[in-house]
Parts: sequence; structure tokens; C-alpha cells
Amino acid sequence: MSARARGYVAIAAVVLVGLVLTFGISERYHHRILTLVFLWATMGLAWNIISGYAGQISFGHQAFFGIGAYVTVLLAAKLKLIPWIGMLGGVGAAVLAAVLIGTPTFRLAGIYFGLATLAYPLIFRIVMDYLGYQEVAIPMMREQPGLFMQFEDPRAFDLLALGILAATLVLSRLVETSRLGYSLRAIKENEQAAEAMGVNSFRCKMYAYMLSAAPAAVAGAVYAHAILFVVTPDAVFGVLVIVQTLTVCLVGGAGTLWGPLIGAAIMIPVSETLDSTLGDKLPGIQGVVYGAALMAVMMFAPEGLYWRVRSVWSGRGGEAARTTRPTPVFAVASVTPAPAPRASGAPLLEVRGISKAFLGLQALSEVSFDVREGEILGIIGPNGAGKTTLFNVLNGFLLPDRGEVRWLGAPITGLEPHEICRRGIGRTFQVMRVFPRLTVEENVMVGAFVREGAPDRARARAQDALARMGLGGRACLVPTGLTTLELRLMELARCLATAPRLVLLDEPLAGLSSDGVELMSSMIRQAPAAGVTVAIIEHTMHAMVKLADRLVVLDQGRPLAEGLPGEVTRNPIVIEAYLGKRWLARHLATQGAIDAQDHRP
Amino acid sequence: MLKITGLSVAYGGLHALEDVSLEVAEGEFVTIVGPNGAGKTTLLRAISGSVRSGAGRLEFRGRDMTPLAAHQRAALGIAHVPEGRRIFPTLTVLENLELGSYRRGARAQRGPGLEAVLTVFPVLRARRQQLAGSLSGGEQQMLALGRGLMAQPDLLLLDEPSQGLGPRIVEQIFETIDQIRKSRRLTILLVEQRVVEALELCDRGYVLETGRVVLAGAHDALLADPRVQRAYLGV
Repeated sequence: MSARARGYVAIAAVVLVGLVLTFGISERYHHRILTLVFLWATMGLAWNIISGYAGQISFGHQAFFGIGAYVTVLLAAKLKLIPWIGMLGGVGAAVLAAVLIGTPTFRLAGIYFGLATLAYPLIFRIVMDYLGYQEVAIPMMREQPGLFMQFEDPRAFDLLALGILAATLVLSRLVETSRLGYSLRAIKENEQAAEAMGVNSFRCKMYAYMLSAAPAAVAGAVYAHAILFVVTPDAVFGVLVIVQTLTVCLVGGAGTLWGPLIGAAIMIPVSETLDSTLGDKLPGIQGVVYGAALMAVMMFAPEGLYWRVRSVWSGRGGEAARTTRPTPVFAVASVTPAPAPRASGAPLLEVRGISKAFLGLQALSEVSFDVREGEILGIIGPNGAGKTTLFNVLNGFLLPDRGEVRWLGAPITGLEPHEICRRGIGRTFQVMRVFPRLTVEENVMVGAFVREGAPDRARARAQDALARMGLGGRACLVPTGLTTLELRLMELARCLATAPRLVLLDEPLAGLSSDGVELMSSMIRQAPAAGVTVAIIEHTMHAMVKLADRLVVLDQGRPLAEGLPGEVTRNPIVIEAYLGKRWLARHLATQGAIDAQDHRP
Repeated sequence: MLKITGLSVAYGGLHALEDVSLEVAEGEFVTIVGPNGAGKTTLLRAISGSVRSGAGRLEFRGRDMTPLAAHQRAALGIAHVPEGRRIFPTLTVLENLELGSYRRGARAQRGPGLEAVLTVFPVLRARRQQLAGSLSGGEQQMLALGRGLMAQPDLLLLDEPSQGLGPRIVEQIFETIDQIRKSRRLTILLVEQRVVEALELCDRGYVLETGRVVLAGAHDALLADPRVQRAYLGV
């Protein structure tokens, strides 16, 4: 059975267990608990799509829950619309709200996004108060209970809640296994690296937010009919809603569809049972016991029960596969044929008068050079010369203050990093930016999605790229198990999986042993033959002079020299930049002698 | 005073130093030069104990200090003036200096020590109530040096004091280092990219390249050796 099919079988099993419980229990109170388990699991799953997968922690997710509840109930109260249709209105309103909230709020990164989302449910509460909807009762429709979601039989609510839970599980599963899911996980791990691998992070986050608003709205509508009967701002926009959501997700584990389900299945019955047993005798004690249980889970499994159990389980697995020796074959471009080369030596990338300043520090001033098709261009310079800043301008991380970058003759200045990646410029990073919780194969798949929409095709492409780097045996590991050399190779594979025509390599040899330098250099040297042009920043000059066809020297943001490696490293201006004026003064004479010796036939 | 044998340091598989051996005698001024990424900073960090060494042995005055933690090494009389200065910008100049004398042996001599530092760096005396963050780059470097001296060290580790400073200021800083050394009988281990300035001041030097010592010798011999250039430029 394929992994994909297994996921749906597991969901079917959950539904089966839900059905057995629905028809197995008899007490009305137990049915209420079961409905709540299904509803909070759904709400947790909704939150998990934006916060678990994409890592954009939403502290205001009850906004959508409340919108779903209010819109559905108001449509019934004012327009006599049946909740089955009203709910669709609620979902529409919630998705619209997600777009309106997301558009400004996704500009904020990390914790600031989370803090900003706190505001929205508060706003909705105030608006509801202002409009006079402090209490909206669901109009009683005893003649047609089914049509108006007012069932006498508690099993009907169980089934309804189970139905939306199953739908949300399927939705989560679809997200997890789709291109969107991989992109979201990459964004969560490292948004900049994801952008550089061609992921449109804003759009992906927005889709995730919309997808997570919809089930939250449905859960809110069903909660109003099954539990509340009278909708108040406090009950649906209140802080307890998000607390309950976070509890089930954090206990069960975020970033997986099983986490919220496990969390709800444990915490909801515990809290309800405590309320009904201890709450009578010692009012307030149920909160203390609940809190203690929560703390115990957090201490034992801070990432959630699902991940804890999984890591214990996989810890029993056998030793990881050993690395195979890299087969020095570079051509990943074989999956899609390399575009027809431009006239040999024609400029692929033209850099014209780029300047960039940070708070008065002139990081780059008036930098101009060409990268020619099929060459390996080395960019060198002393510490602080502006080399990495230059790459950040070229791949779109930074907007230059002045100047222009042209790619295949067309300007690309001002394009987003993912757009530049799609046009065929890949890059790697000085400090490696891997996605630590994705496997090696999934890391490379993120790059492969630039050219392949379907996960299976992207996986094949990633496997191909990894095999060429000799990392075939490492595909299923997480990157923490890799050596520096393997990580650098993996980053290169991820970059090549985007099928670039130009790769920007930022210190690919840093921290490698001499064997590693040799291997990595041989990989890079094969790039032009495979139709990939290389621009490389490197400090290890010994390797660089052997590797590069041409060198561009930067010093304090200014272009200093350009030419063949042998010329550049003998250029007095370059020697001065590296070793100082006074060294040059001392050694200019000897330098002449060395050169004369070298040029003797 | 300091003897390092076969030191290797790796950060998560990244080889920063490989089999480095060097010695610094009591009262000596030794400089380590080398291009960016050669492992100079890592070497100083390994000596002061802020990174763990993978293999090798570090001896200080004949005593094996390899297993000692950073604060224990500081207690032996090793002061590290780190790269990028790392002063406390929201504290005053005086508070920064006083924090330098935190170590037990130095606390007793805080008063005279402070007076001595303020004499060496008159500009710090003038600005002693100012927030350290408001100082210029050169002044901040002097403060970092002064803070290191407040610990009354026997061995001073200096990491790139010239970094990010204009040539005139650099000259001034190097002059001060020379002056301190002559007046205090300090042992100094300096790490620098500015080859000539650093080598001219010192007694002996080492050239580090991609984590290995590739050249060693007296300062005038290194200054005359074209192979130093090879370490920087590859040819």
C-alpha cells in the first residue's frame, strides 16, 4: 500500500471508531463530550494548517470560529435561512476575513504576526457589541429539526461533528501531501531559503490561512447549534476558544494532522470529566488538576505527544544507511533539457552600477560586471567587501539603491526572490540554510517544485539530484544527521533541482576538509558542461584560483579588478587590498622577480 | 606560558582548526595573521574556552587547562578582547570597565587598575559617564581593550582590534597596544588581518591558512617572506 493510501485508511479508521462510539454510548452527557471532542479536534486541525504546517502562529483563530457561528445564526434569525446554507455564508465570510486580515498581517514576521492576530477577535467582539448582538438566540424550529440543525437525538450532532472532522482530516491530508504542504513546511523552517528556492511565500501563507479559516467557521457554526443555542461574543470570540484550540494542538503535537486529534481525544474528556466529578465537590479544583495534567504533558513531551511517541518509535529503527561515494555527475538538467545556450560567451547576467547602503555604510558602490554563459566566475575580496550583499541583490533579497541587474537582456531588479529563482538563478548560502525538520529528500523537493507541480514528479526529480550528489542513501534522514560536506552537497542538489541556468554559490567550500574541498570543486567544475553557469564567492583562494575561469575583486563595496586568476592575484591593487599598502611597498620588487621567473619560457 | 599542541576544533563537522601547535613565552608578543576564514578567531576562542576543542592539549604555565571552563581560564589570568568589541552599549564607560574587573583576583585592585586604564586611554576618562554605545568605533575598541586590562591579566588575547576602523585610528590603537605591553610586562597574543602593522609590533608570528599553521617565524623574517602573500592570494 502506498504511503498516500495508508493516510486515507487511517482517516477511515478514525471515522469507524467515531461511529462505534456514537452508537455505542447511551448517556446524553457522554454524547456531548463526544461532540466536543470532534469539534475541538476540527478547530485544532484548522489552526494547525496555518500555524502547524506554515509556522505562522495565530493567536486569534477564534475570529473565524466566531464569524462562522455569528453569520450562520444571524442568517437564520434575520432571514430564516437554514443553517446548512447559512454555514456556507459563514465560511465565505471567514475566508474573506482571512484575506483581509492576512494581506496586511503577513507583512509581519514571526512572533509579531502572532501578536497582531490577537487584535482581530477583540475587534469582532466590539463590533458585535456595537451592533447590538450581545445575545443572539437560535430561532426554535421544532417542526423541521433536521433542516434547522436542531436535532433531538444527540447522536445526530455526534455524526455531524464527526463528518466535519473527517472532512478536515482529508483537507489536512491533501495539504500535507501537496506542493503547498511542502512549501508551507519550508516556509516554517526558513522563509528566506524557501523564497530563494522559488516558493512564493506570501501566496502560500495566504492559501493556508484561507484553508484554515474555512473549517474553523464550520466548527463555530456547529458549536453554536450543538452546544450554545445562544451565541454571545464572549462564547465564540472569547479567549477560551483559542485556549482550548491551542491546548489540543500543543498536547497532541502541531504540524501533523494526528496531533490535534490526539490532543482533543485526551484533553476534552479529561476536562469534562473533571468538571462533572470534582467540580461538584471542590469548585475550582478541576482547573488545578487540568493545569497539572497540561504541565505534565508539556514536560514529558514539549513538542506534543504525537512527535514524542514517533521519536521513541523511530529511535528503535536500525542504523541509518551509509553515504555512497558521490558519482561525479553533475547534469541534473537532464530532467528538462537545458535551454539552448546563448552565443558562447554572451553575457547571461549583466550587473550595472549597483549601489547599496545600510545605515550610512556603503556596502556596494557602482558595481558592474557580466556573468558570461558557461563560465565559472569567482567573486573575491577581503572581509567586508560586500560579496554576500551582492548575491543578496542578485537573487532579490535586497533592492539596490541604484543600478540595474539584467538577466538574458531583461531587467530583473525589484523582482521577488522566488520569481528570480523561477527565471533560472539558483543560490546556496554561506551559512547553510537547510530545512531542518524536512528530510533530505523533502529539502530537495522544495527546489524541485519550481519545475514540477506534482509531488511524485518532484520527488523523482529530487531523488535524481540527490543520487548525482552521491546522497541517494541519505534521502530519508533529517539534515542534522549529515556531515558538513553532505549538507553542502544537499544544498547544491536543492539548488540544482530548480533547474537553474546560473547558480550563485556563497562559500561552498567553507569548513570542508581538503578532501571535501577537492570533491566539491570537482562537482562545481562540471557545471558548465551541464549547461549551468556558476558565480562563486570563496575565501579559500587556493581552490578558487584553480576553479574559476575569471575573477572579479571587490574591496569595501567597490569593484577593484577583473580578469584571469593569474593576472588578478598579481595585480598590485589586489595585493594591497588583501595585505595592505605597506606589504605591497615591501614586496613590489620581489613580486616583479617572481613574475619574471614565471614568464620565462 | 601558553603551549598548544595538536589543537583541532570542529563545529558540527565543520573543520575550523586542524592540528595547530604553537607556543607563547612569558612576556612575549606573538601575532597570528592569515586571511579571512583561516580560523584565527576560533583559535582565540579555543584558548579562552568559549569553544570546546575537539582534540589537542592546551597548557598554561605548565598546567593542563584543556578541561577548564571559560570562567576558570579567566581566573588563571587570561583575558579575551573579542572580535567586534562586544562592549555593553547601554552601560556607561565606567560601568563597562568595572565589569572587566569582575574576576576575584582583579577586584581588589579595581581602583588603581581603573586609574591606570584611564591614564592609558585619556579619551575614556573624558567620556566615562557616557553610554558606551554612543562612542565612536575607535573609542569602543579602546574601551574593549581597557575592559580587558581591568581583569589584570597575565595573557591578553586580542582579536582583530583594527576591524572596521580607519587607518589613522588603527595606527593609534596599535601604538597603544605597544605602549601597554612595554609598561606592563604583559604577554600578548594578537590576531590580525593587517599583516605589516601587526608583524612589525610583535616578536614572533604565525601564519594560519584554512585551519592550519603554514608558516612561523620571527617578525622580520615573516615580513620579508613572499609566502605570506600566498596564504592570502593562493599564488
